[in-house]
Parts: sequence; C-alpha cells; structure tokens
Amino acid sequence: MVEVEKLNVHFGKKHIVRDVSFNVNKGEIIGMFGISGAGKTTIIRVLTCQIVQKYWSGKVNVTGLSPHKKRNHGVILSNIGYVPQLEQLNLYFDLSPLANVEIFTSTYGMGKIEAVKVAKSLFTILDIPKDTWNKRVKYMSGGEKKRLSMAIGLIHNPNVLFLDEPTTGVDASKRYEILSYLKKLNQKLQTTMFIITHDLEAALICDKAAILREGKMLSFDSPQKLINSLPSNGMIARVTIDNLNQQIISIIQQFSPIQEILRVGNEVVEIMMDDFEVNLPKLIQFIVNKGFNITAMSRDIATFRRFFQIRIKEEEQKEKDQSTLLVKNKEVENEKT
Amino acid sequence: MLWTDKFNIFIALVVPPLVIALLGVMGSISSTIPVMPINCVVVSYDSNTFINENNFTESRIDNYHGPYVNAVNKSELLNLVHFYNATTDIYGMESARELLNTKQIEIIIAIPVDFSELLTLNYPGLIDCIIDSSDPQKIQDNINAVFDSVKIFVKDNNLTPQFELRGFEEFAIPENYSPKFNNSIVMTLSFMVIGVGMVLTILVIVHEQPIARLLLTPIKRNEILLAKYITYTLVLLIQNISLVATALSFGLYIVGSVFDLFLALFVLGFAGLSLGIFISSSSKTKTEANQLFFAVFLVLVLLSGIFVPISAMPVYLQFVAYILPLSHGDPLINGIITKGKSVFGFDFYVLLLVSIILVVFSFILFKRRKYEV
Repeated sequence: MVEVEKLNVHFGKKHIVRDVSFNVNKGEIIGMFGISGAGKTTIIRVLTCQIVQKYWSGKVNVTGLSPHKKRNHGVILSNIGYVPQLEQLNLYFDLSPLANVEIFTSTYGMGKIEAVKVAKSLFTILDIPKDTWNKRVKYMSGGEKKRLSMAIGLIHNPNVLFLDEPTTGVDASKRYEILSYLKKLNQKLQTTMFIITHDLEAALICDKAAILREGKMLSFDSPQKLINSLPSNGMIARVTIDNLNQQIISIIQQFSPIQEILRVGNEVVEIMMDDFEVNLPKLIQFIVNKGFNITAMSRDIATFRRFFQIRIKEEEQKEKDQSTLLVKNKEVENEKT
Repeated sequence: MLWTDKFNIFIALVVPPLVIALLGVMGSISSTIPVMPINCVVVSYDSNTFINENNFTESRIDNYHGPYVNAVNKSELLNLVHFYNATTDIYGMESARELLNTKQIEIIIAIPVDFSELLTLNYPGLIDCIIDSSDPQKIQDNINAVFDSVKIFVKDNNLTPQFELRGFEEFAIPENYSPKFNNSIVMTLSFMVIGVGMVLTILVIVHEQPIARLLLTPIKRNEILLAKYITYTLVLLIQNISLVATALSFGLYIVGSVFDLFLALFVLGFAGLSLGIFISSSSKTKTEANQLFFAVFLVLVLLSGIFVPISAMPVYLQFVAYILPLSHGDPLINGIITKGKSVFGFDFYVLLLVSIILVVFSFILFKRRKYEV
C-alpha cells in the first residue's frame, strides 16, 4: 500500500529526513514515534503530496502511485484521508457536522445522499451524539470534534488514513477511547492507518511501529518484536530499594549481566539483563550483599515506552561516542602537524 | 515582540504619515489651483435686423452679438470653445447640447433672437444660459462666470448695466424628486458598492483555515478561488438588485436605463470584490489583511476626485487615480443617472480591465500561497 525506499528530504542545507525506508501493507496500523523534529511530519507530508518534488529524493509509492509526478497527485489525494492535529484546520466551526461532510465529500465527487448516509454510520461507530449532527461544530466538545475530524477523514473510504497526533490534547481517560475507535474502524473498514504521535501508548493498537530520531529511522517492526529484541526478550525486574540514589544505581550497575537499568520511581528501578531466569537470583544476592535493602520486587515484560527510551538512549550514546572519537582523531592529527 | 510583527508595525508607522502627506499635497494643490475658466459655447440666434412694427420696414441695426462674443473671450472665468451662428447653422444648438452632454463644456450661452434689437432700443439686455446642473456645487460658479462676461460687455460697449440673465438647468432633478437624495445617491452608491465588495471578501482566504485541509483532497487551488468568486459575485448581484430597487422606490430620478445603472454598480462592486480577494490572497494574517484594507480604502477615497479634481492633480497622482476603481464610480453612475449616458464608456472599460488584472493576480498569489497541515 505504501512503499518508501531511501527517502531523503533536504530544505536548503538542512537534511531533514535521511535514508528512510519502509513498507506498509493493506490494513496495517503504523505508528510513527519520535520527539519533535524527528522528521515524522515531513515524511507524511511527502506521502501526502505536500512537499514539492525538488526537495526530496528516493522511491515513494502511495497506493501504487508516486508523488514525484504532479499528475498523480489528484489520484493519490483521492485515495488517502488526512486528519490534522488541529480541528480548526479540518472543520468549519460555524457549520454543522453534516454540512462539513457535504463540503469535504463534494471534493471527492461523492453525492450528497451517499455522503450523509456514510457519515451517519461513521458518526454512530464513533459515538458522535445524534443531537449534535445538525448543530454547529463549535458547540461540540473537544473529543467530539476529534472524532468528527476522523469521520471526515474516512467518509470517502480512503485506502490510507493519516492521523496527526490524534490523542494530543485529549484527557488521559479519553485517549484509550480514541485509540480503540481507531482500532475498531481499522477492523471494520480495513483502512491502512498512519498515526504520527508522541503518545507511546498508541503502540498498543499498532501493527508496526517506526521510531525516528533526527530524520533517521531507528526501528521499524511490530511493537512485540521490538520489545523481544531487548535483552531476555524484554523481561524486566522491578526492584524497590530503600533510600535509592544515583550512587546505589552505579553500584548495582557493576553486576555484569545487567544490560539496562532505569530509574522509574523515587525508589524503584527496572533492570534488564541477559539470561534473566538464571541471573535474577544472583542479582538479588548481589544487591543484598552490597548492603542495600530491597523492600519490593516484581517481574514484568517491558513496555513499548521502555523500548523507545532504551533505543533513543542507545542512539544518543552512539553519537556521543562517535563525536568523542572524532575529537580524539582531530587532536592526534593536530599533534602530528 | 514588536519585531515579530514587522508588517503591521510598518503599516502602523508608515501609512498614517503617508496619508497626511497625501492630504498635504492635495491641500497645496487645491489652494494653488488657479481658477480654471469654464468651457462654454455661444449660440447666437441674433438676427440683427429690425422690423418696424408700424410700417414693417426692415432695417439693419447694430450687431451686438459680435461684441458679446468678444466679451466672453475676454472673460477670465470663461473659455469659449465654439461659436455657433444659429441663424445660418440650424444644428448649432444641437451641436452645443452634444458638447454639454459629453461634458466638453459646462455652459451654453444662448443669445436670443432680439438681442441687438433690445439693446439698440435701450431696453434691458437678455442672455439665456443653459447650465450643466448635474453637479449642484458648480451651478453658482457657472452663473457668476456668465455674469462676468455680461459685465465686460456692458463696460466695453457703454451700455446700461441692466441685464437679465435667464438660467436653464440642464440635467436638473425635476421638482417632484428630492434633489438632496438624488445628489447624494451618486457618491453613496459608488462608496457603498466598492466598500461592501471589499469588506465581504477581505478575509475569505486568510481567515479560512480549513483551506489547508481542502488542498489535501483532489480539488485544485484554482477551483477553490473560482468558487469564491462565483459565490461572492452572486451575493453582489443580489445586493445590486436590492440597491437599485430601494433607490428607485425612494425616488431616484434616472434619465438613463435602469439596466445600465445595475451594470455600472455590478462592475464597480466586482472591482471592489476582486480587490478584497487580492488583498486576502496576499496577506499572511487577518490583522495584515485588515490593515491593508484600511490603507487601500483610504487611498481610494483620497484619490477618487472628491476632494480635489483628478485633472488638477500632479500627473503622477492622476495616473494612480485613474487606475483606482472609485475614481470611475462617480462619473459612471452620474452619467447614467443625470445624463442618460450608456454604461459602455471609458469608465466601464477601465473598471473591467482593473477587475480582470486583480482577478489574475489573485489567482497567481493564491497558487503560490503556502499551506501546511
């Protein structure tokens, strides 16, 4: 459905996206995760024909067509849907939801009757209250506007739906609701979905997750596989230690099988290590021998959030090491001269 | 913080002094405008033959129409464009009216048939003048100018100073119509139609945020802008119909065709509408659009010819004034209402051309406008 191979985006001297490649099949939900400036939105803008061809290179196909050629844009745009982050970019607040539907569907050549019929069924799936269908959008709640925005993105039954930060600005309790609506729609309509988000909880509904940093794709696989790539398939030991501080953490880190140790609370650390089952009792013994008081301990599987943190940390460390090496090399060269 | 809003700071700091400077230039022009002589034509019916009533004998009498024409020439307040001797040229008055109709002259001075006869017999003299009264402010100036010629004539020919001047107001509003309403309607219609056209469309592009989302559908940019033009043109059509209907119901006296008036208002309104869309397409924010509207409308009004006649402005300002739509509103509507002229004249075609240029530029600007979702 979407193929990207060695995508590079340059704006002047700035290299925004570097050699990004991935393939997406029909019906998959893809999460694009990364901090601000990672290049997520830029990639989506290339896929949605918003960036002029002179700024990017690489092989890109969206629903079988390349956005390279301007003549393909009309067809690509009729095959995709887009749900922007801000509702005011997507909705006419002085009109009713059904009037908004009429405006946007007219651009796809949909008849009014058909559009309203599809809209009503989507509104029902997304729990948009019936009494709001003919009132002005500005009187709807934030969550209702978000769901209306999604419905409008889906009215014309696109092959691919792009959602920009669908859970941003929404209550924590409502976030899961939105994610479950998206999953529901994906299952019902088999629409391929791209979710661009900072919200790592969105990985719960994703078939594949892409992690981006400074324009580079660090990982692209199903969240479960990514977690399994962690030491011991993502098994973690969660240990609560009295009077935990950085010094204690540094001492614990001396236990050699430990691969990762993360402070997750005032007195709580999560530890990942090789050969988890074998080394767990040895770890406990090690901590006790050092004189630290373990008040609680549990075992769990790492979340996607943990994987994300670890992956980003690894990359940052890699870059740090590379720049240190570069500095050292320069010094050596300077000494030689 | 101020530096993030450079455009609006520029508008706030530069435009007001520029407007004052423009007013100053206009003011200095108006105070130094030499009193322009009023263009006139003399049509003489004076036969300079005298028929004695008692014996019906004919005798030649002194020709006074010649010296009067000389007096008109001498007058600094009049500029004699042509002299017609209606006793030999039967179409003289018709030709004179044509000149009055096309605003090449403002007065027709008619020397009556017994002009010389009356003066020779020491009766008070009589002069008829037909004045273009479509501009009520100029009626008195015109009459004073004719009186000036009479004064010179009387003085040069040692005549008795008794003279009667009969004035006929051409293009005047008939008595059963309100002159106040009819005289004010011309300017009001021009201002309103252009002003409302601009106000209606000044924010259509810059304010409508979902356009960014619309551009992620198969619709093209040109189609979006075309839709806006069509929509607001329809609104303009309805507005013009209601304007004309209201004006007529309140006693608008119109010599020309109602359809011509409607067409004139439409082309004026469309120029305003195009200007509004042009400003909206070129502005980045609502504030910028509002400020540009204010600046542009001010210049439109100042150079419309209301404060200072366009012909009296420096050449560079005249050039600018003739490009601006409001400068053509008054002559166009006035010509139709008071003189029955056809709408298809210079002013109409200039307005049409200006509108087309604005439409083209607004399409170009909208096509280049950056939208990101």
